[in-house]
Amino acid sequence: MDSYFINKPNLDRLVKSLLKTYKIFAPVKSDNNRFYKKIGEEGLGESIVGEIRPVEPVKSFYFPARTKIAEYFSEKDPDKKEKPVAIIGAKSCDLASFKVMDYVYGQAPFRDPSYIFKREDNLVISSDCTCYGETCFCVAVGIAPYPKEGFDINLSELDGGYVAEPGSPKGEKLIREYFKLFQPADPYIEKRDLNRKKLWEDLLEHVKKSKIPPKDSIQPAFKKKFDSDLWGEVSRTCVECGACNYVCPACHCFVLMDQKKEDGFERLRMWDSCLLLSFARVAGGANPRKLLAQRMRNRFDKKFNFFPDIIGRFGCTGCGRCIEACPGKIDIREVLSKLQTT
Amino acid sequence: MDNPYLPIKTEVLDVIEESPTIKTFRLKSETPLYFKAGQFVEMSIPGKGEAPFTPSSSPYEKDKLEITIMKAGRITGMIHDLKKGDIVGLRGPYGNEYPLSEYEGKEILLVGGGVGLAPLRALFLALVHDIEKYKSVLFCCGSRTPSDIIYKDSVLDKWQHLDKKRIKFRITVDRKDDAWKGNVGLVTTTLDKLDLNIKNSVSIVCGPPVMMKFSTFKLLEVGYKPEQIYLSMEKNMSCGIGKCGHCRLGNFYACKDGPVFRYDKISNIREIWD
Repeated sequence: MDSYFINKPNLDRLVKSLLKTYKIFAPVKSDNNRFYKKIGEEGLGESIVGEIRPVEPVKSFYFPARTKIAEYFSEKDPDKKEKPVAIIGAKSCDLASFKVMDYVYGQAPFRDPSYIFKREDNLVISSDCTCYGETCFCVAVGIAPYPKEGFDINLSELDGGYVAEPGSPKGEKLIREYFKLFQPADPYIEKRDLNRKKLWEDLLEHVKKSKIPPKDSIQPAFKKKFDSDLWGEVSRTCVECGACNYVCPACHCFVLMDQKKEDGFERLRMWDSCLLLSFARVAGGANPRKLLAQRMRNRFDKKFNFFPDIIGRFGCTGCGRCIEACPGKIDIREVLSKLQTT
Repeated sequence: MDNPYLPIKTEVLDVIEESPTIKTFRLKSETPLYFKAGQFVEMSIPGKGEAPFTPSSSPYEKDKLEITIMKAGRITGMIHDLKKGDIVGLRGPYGNEYPLSEYEGKEILLVGGGVGLAPLRALFLALVHDIEKYKSVLFCCGSRTPSDIIYKDSVLDKWQHLDKKRIKFRITVDRKDDAWKGNVGLVTTTLDKLDLNIKNSVSIVCGPPVMMKFSTFKLLEVGYKPEQIYLSMEKNMSCGIGKCGHCRLGNFYACKDGPVFRYDKISNIREIWD
């Protein structure tokens, strides 16, 4: 199916129509940051469809920080059936994280029902980045600042509207259903491609300053640095808060917690952090990663060594959120550059 | 879609005191869990949490299973307070089993230390079930003191008479007491002067990390190749299904790619003995 153009008032109409099927979230801006906000009858309003990724990673909608995953001993579905979610304005770096999450949570024989149902039911209307943030470095890890896959519909902002590209049968169906709101995209495609090229080049220029090794040499460089002092050095300012894990769209680790409820027991699944001392510890006290430096190394190992071997891509999408979240000013770009230089 | 995080209601049928710190729990779950020797289950105390354990009973016993547990942490402490009739949760089995077909026709060496005897007991009982398939079994058991020996009646008596030609034992304790007449020394000392054809042998090791490490090194020293050594790497297997990330071991997860690993597959991974 071809792409179409939709102007801003018509996108707003589309979003309002989707309210009967979906709980809709779109980013709004506050203090130069973007946050997902629930859209009500008032429509998109001040929502920012373009610009860059919100503070919250998109995983929050699929793998929330805290989910009740079982009530025992009962066969009842612990996930209350809620309206599916439509996300508007998700960015390329977040869509790339689906590749990691889908592998982890979709992998047979034990597929994760709570994640899979959300992936099947939710709607993703993504959008091109129209600028870059200081911490953005997606192009250094092989991800474009505009989505190429993983969306139902992608929006590229220009000339008072958006080029809408369908990326799935669900997206195509939606465009067909609301066909009156769309017009041919031909006059806009060239400009969209130019915008994309320009941003890509600007971002490449910006990322150059960080001296991140070329994409294909990151994993070999990591392997060579496995036993170096780099990890002790990098972890010197780490306060083990786990913020980098929590804001990372590709960090998938969790801890299971059980508690009593009125009639039985429930099991919660909550985000965990591999930088915490107890992460790999076993009951007898043995701990393969007693030192913070080992845990820091483990974080990079997982992202730049394990996932390339397992799924052929990094467990990092270059969103730069961890750089902003770290109270110890640990900059993943700097660490990557040091893989090659120190 | 089945919920893989949901435990099955399970009754504690009996509690057997093995040693001052180790108990065996005989369990019957509402829906039976059919495990193979080496696989593990997650056992939960309702509302409190769960931990991974490898069943120690014969996998051929279909509707009940036994788990032998050392009191070592928060959950195992609560498990030790369980009594006959109490309700717990079980889910599983998870992970891979001991590859019994690879052991056929071989002289099998089992090396167990402390509570590490638990998975080996399930394996031993599976081997005994089809003993004619295997050339021989030598079971080396190490314990700290005579009172720390688990499955005493079996290890010191019953199993000794199963098939004297094919099945042999070497039992040792680190420190003896006045009544002990047997060997004294670390379990690695039982691996000296092995009376078997190492070329046609496989060894299976299970025990505390430090015991696994030194037993493996000893086995290499006496002539075993890495591909003849099987280890039970029991890490922090929390979800049991390769998702929570806690038990990663290089490019593997102990819960789904293990817990049984052939040593040559993991010998290059750091941090395996910790």
